[in-house]
Amino acid sequence: MKRFGTIVLSLLLLSSCGAEKSRNLDIRSEADLSGLRVATITGSSYEMDLSKRDDISLTCYNATSDLLQALLTGKADVIVHDEVVFNPRIRKENGIKIAFLSERTSATALMFNKSDSELAEACSKVQRRMFDDGSMQRLKDFWLEGEYFRTGELKHIPDEGTGEPLRVATCASSAPLSFYVDGEWYGIEMDLVRELGRELGRPLDIKYYDTGSCIMTLKTGIADVLCGCIFITPEREEQFCFAEPYHYYHPAYFVLDPDADKEQLSIWEWIKKSIQKTFITENRWKFITRGLWATLRITILAILLGSLLGALLYRMKISRHPIDRVIARLYNSFISGIPQLVLLLILFYIVFARSSVPPDLVAVIAFAMYFASSAASIYDTSLSAIPRGQTEAGLALGFTKVQTFMQIVLPQAIRQALPLFKGQCISLLKGTSIVGYIAINDLTRAGDLIRARTFDALVPLLLITILYFIMVWLIGILLNLLYPKKHVL
Amino acid sequence: MISISHLSKTYHNPDGSTLQVLRDVNCEINKGEVISIIGPSGTGKSTLLRAMNLLDPPTGGSILFDGEDILAKDYPVHKLRQKMGMVFQNFNLFEHMTVLENVMYAPCKILKMSLEEAREEALSLLRKVGLADRGDDYPSNLSGGQKQRVAIARCLAMKPQVILFDEPTSALDPTMVGEVLSVIRQLAAEGMTMLIVTHLMKFARDVSTRIFYMQDGIIYEDGTPEQVFEKPRRSATKAFVQRIRKQVFEIDNSEFDFRGMESTIRAFCIKYNIADRCDRAIEITDLMQEVVMSKYMPYTLRITHSELSGESAVDFMVEGLENSPMKDPAVDSAFLKKLKALSSDIVEEPTTRGFRIKIIL
Repeated sequence: MKRFGTIVLSLLLLSSCGAEKSRNLDIRSEADLSGLRVATITGSSYEMDLSKRDDISLTCYNATSDLLQALLTGKADVIVHDEVVFNPRIRKENGIKIAFLSERTSATALMFNKSDSELAEACSKVQRRMFDDGSMQRLKDFWLEGEYFRTGELKHIPDEGTGEPLRVATCASSAPLSFYVDGEWYGIEMDLVRELGRELGRPLDIKYYDTGSCIMTLKTGIADVLCGCIFITPEREEQFCFAEPYHYYHPAYFVLDPDADKEQLSIWEWIKKSIQKTFITENRWKFITRGLWATLRITILAILLGSLLGALLYRMKISRHPIDRVIARLYNSFISGIPQLVLLLILFYIVFARSSVPPDLVAVIAFAMYFASSAASIYDTSLSAIPRGQTEAGLALGFTKVQTFMQIVLPQAIRQALPLFKGQCISLLKGTSIVGYIAINDLTRAGDLIRARTFDALVPLLLITILYFIMVWLIGILLNLLYPKKHVL
Repeated sequence: MISISHLSKTYHNPDGSTLQVLRDVNCEINKGEVISIIGPSGTGKSTLLRAMNLLDPPTGGSILFDGEDILAKDYPVHKLRQKMGMVFQNFNLFEHMTVLENVMYAPCKILKMSLEEAREEALSLLRKVGLADRGDDYPSNLSGGQKQRVAIARCLAMKPQVILFDEPTSALDPTMVGEVLSVIRQLAAEGMTMLIVTHLMKFARDVSTRIFYMQDGIIYEDGTPEQVFEKPRRSATKAFVQRIRKQVFEIDNSEFDFRGMESTIRAFCIKYNIADRCDRAIEITDLMQEVVMSKYMPYTLRITHSELSGESAVDFMVEGLENSPMKDPAVDSAFLKKLKALSSDIVEEPTTRGFRIKIIL
């Protein structure tokens, strides 16, 4: 325990000392970037522009919070993002400044499926009305320049409508575009889609996808509209359909501000502040509890379903019919040859794309498919480890076949199987940390969402590690209850 | 009690070939009989037992148990097996249960005996096989002989009307055969009906009321031990029961691996349960080589054992020799005295191939 405390403490120290060495970089134009380490957001148009230059070393991050961390911990010299994302309040808190603001602006709009041009047109109409009656200006004032900037105050237009939900995918979890606070989505783009929803009389169903997989949700028809600061590019216009741009964002080049008077906190004050902002502010602890429940729910259901499927697979494996055995073998080689994440994405974006199967269930099915394969081989190893003579002895004493299996073979096989089974359950539990890719807010994703708000990596990650640890421990305890009694009589 | 007619069993191999292990077995087994089934390997002795309690269901013929056709479709097989116990070559004790639980389990679960009653019963059976103090041990802590005695107790706990023993001593270290045989002898004395597949001729002759000699998937000869062992009607039976076990060494020069020979002789003696004669046999070969035979190389040394008569001997054969090597001047009275102390008889005999000295242990 003492050693654990030491590790935690040194981690804390490391993270709080990360930004000590900062130098004053004089960047006035894009040409000055030459020779520097630059970081930006994966899949953004900045990435496309910067990757054409071979005189800089470019790194891309999926999340705004990770991008900021890269700058703060010295992994990057400059980071590129929309000016509004790191507003003056955030810049001051983290000791960064804008080195220069690009002249070029990016037309930004909501994106729709090519076949959904009517929806895009409806959206443009709503926006035109908003420009005309001044509500668009009020929206921009609030989110991009006004109260939100100064005070961090939140508000949003209430949802209305009873029709079929408008399925919204967002690939940004960063203020002020779209971000998640205490069970509700906020931000300028969220308000835009809400206006659209009101116009159409449809309630909203907003989900947060990874930057990489976000575009697929439109393609496969899982979402109707995609937002998250999507720039209009010619490549995108070929494949998708945009509403009219609602804003032109300025890309900004952020660097560490050597003159910033970062407040010097003692370790305990720092911990107190971190805990405050990680859990208490905006009821962020709810991310954790909901994520914990999602992880547990998916793990337990996948173990149950996978165990049953595994029994079926085992039956096929030892079947008399060669076709059954071939199917079982093919299934096993299919499963062992495909990464879990890929299977999950295939199920979500292809197999169940057009159906109304909820993401939770897709995840349960994907993990159960994996678990079935290992469960079948666990059943196989542990049952074949029981000599045939045990069955014969049971039969010869006068037990029926079923009694012999249940009372004599199975208790011995369970002893063999449990340690293996436990290992598989634990790796399943940890494997579920990828469900964030299909917009399930599990424990890992909860940490991401918190980090997106607090720009602090250490405390959420540490907490999540500890929670996974406890769950692994609990699984061990639960499975030990399944051990057959020491004495049979 | 059991009536078997025209019983056959054919195995179908995965490659399509077939193997007929039992061809046409006919016999009547009466209450109280102790029948030993002997015969060469692979002639269907174990298969016959396993066919009788349907662990390997026969493919043809009929088996009547107390007049009921046990091969009938709706015959409750597990009920039959409760009346017909089986003891396996590999014991097959339930490894996850204690010795006592092994014995109690079936009576509790099948006969619905109360725990108290089953425990009393099990303890008295363990006492009978001499293992009452090992009740709380797990089978993995027992020796092979102890395991087999527990297996017999487990079988007896179901109060079977007949017990099938499938080579009960074949998996045992020779030093442990005796303890198992004595339990079976005791059961025979109490009048238990038993069928025993065994390779131990002497035991079969002593304990049985009847012998089945099996060959080629049929009961080739069926009779009392006296008849089958002393006056077999058929030549194959005779050849089998009177066969002599032997181990042959060709000693051609003084570089011969005598140490290797010594350990082979030891293994032979243990295999045929004559370990008590082992040291004498080795001492005789050493003595003979040293004093007499080194001058007569190459020669052939054999150790032989007749399972039926129990007679063992070491013999030395020199090819093309007409006079006994024992006439050699090196053979003095002191040497002969020593040799006679180690053996029960010394036979010197000329043969067509040469001269043989046979020293009976």
